Amino acid sequence: MSPKIRLLVFLAAVVCILPAVGRLALQMPAFGAHPLPYGDAIDAAAPGERHVTNMVSAINFDYRGFDTLGEEFMLLCAVTGTVVLLRGHRGEALEARPGIVRGRAIAPRSEAVALISRLTAPVIVLFGVYVALHAMTTPGGGFQGGVIIATGMLLAFFGDGYPGWRRVSNSKVLDAFEGGGAALYALCGFASMLLGLPFLTNFLPIGTLKDVFSGGLMLVENAGVGLAVTGSFLLLFLEFLEETRTKKPKDGP
Amino acid sequence: MKILLAVLLLMLAASGTGVVLTRTPLRQVLALSVNGAVLALLFMALQAPDVAFAEIVVGAAAVPLLFLVVLASIRMDRSPRAPDRL
Repeated sequence: MSPKIRLLVFLAAVVCILPAVGRLALQMPAFGAHPLPYGDAIDAAAPGERHVTNMVSAINFDYRGFDTLGEEFMLLCAVTGTVVLLRGHRGEALEARPGIVRGRAIAPRSEAVALISRLTAPVIVLFGVYVALHAMTTPGGGFQGGVIIATGMLLAFFGDGYPGWRRVSNSKVLDAFEGGGAALYALCGFASMLLGLPFLTNFLPIGTLKDVFSGGLMLVENAGVGLAVTGSFLLLFLEFLEETRTKKPKDGP
Repeated sequence: MKILLAVLLLMLAASGTGVVLTRTPLRQVLALSVNGAVLALLFMALQAPDVAFAEIVVGAAAVPLLFLVVLASIRMDRSPRAPDRL
């Protein structure tokens, strides 16, 4: 298809779709308006019923906890698939050489980058732990905390290079984090069933409002999500960064 | 507040257009990262800190990093005579 025909097809499509888009755009609710009643209902009910002040966590881990279980296993499957595709001997050794592009020198790491990475990495990881722990009281939660921890750990690569990064991210530990976190979430549901309650019923004492340890079973589920997300993101980074090393003939992909 | 939102929306439109109009993959990745950071600021201004956390880490750091690694990996596998257009 030549560029000219492609442009003509595109313009024809625009002419067909534009009236419908324009009509829909005019009928949209005003910016910032939320006509559906569910948000207000959760805002009114969750602090009294579940003793948590972060409504997003209340929805994710309690009112719609089963959906989160599905997302949890979606993440597990996606990361497992990536790891299966990329796992090989390439880059597994601490002293693996960086890959070479012909005609381009490997620039040495600047001291400023190393210093900033080393200074900020622990603070970022600590902040991630804080965000993950305070899921029931302040914005954030296991997912957000987990990705913040993972990117903080990644700074080891920028601060200390590949060997430093390999030392802090042990693939076996990360596997355990990833699978264990997802298993912990699922086991929460089965624990409810053991007590004769419906799947994922919040059976633990829900504590006092505005306390870090409020929310009952949601805390355990949140810990499961936090572990799984930290493990999966670090595992992704690890497998991808292995691809930047030189390939030996006997190595796999 | 209205001015802040307007400025952020304009920045978002500009950075999004930048992603589309950039032609070299390396610069595209950086433009995508900037777009993610602006989007996170907008979420923050719209009082959605949950989403802002996820967006700034995933959109501005993790996804661009994975793309960068892919570009580096492709470039290493490329034969030396092929034109270096990445």
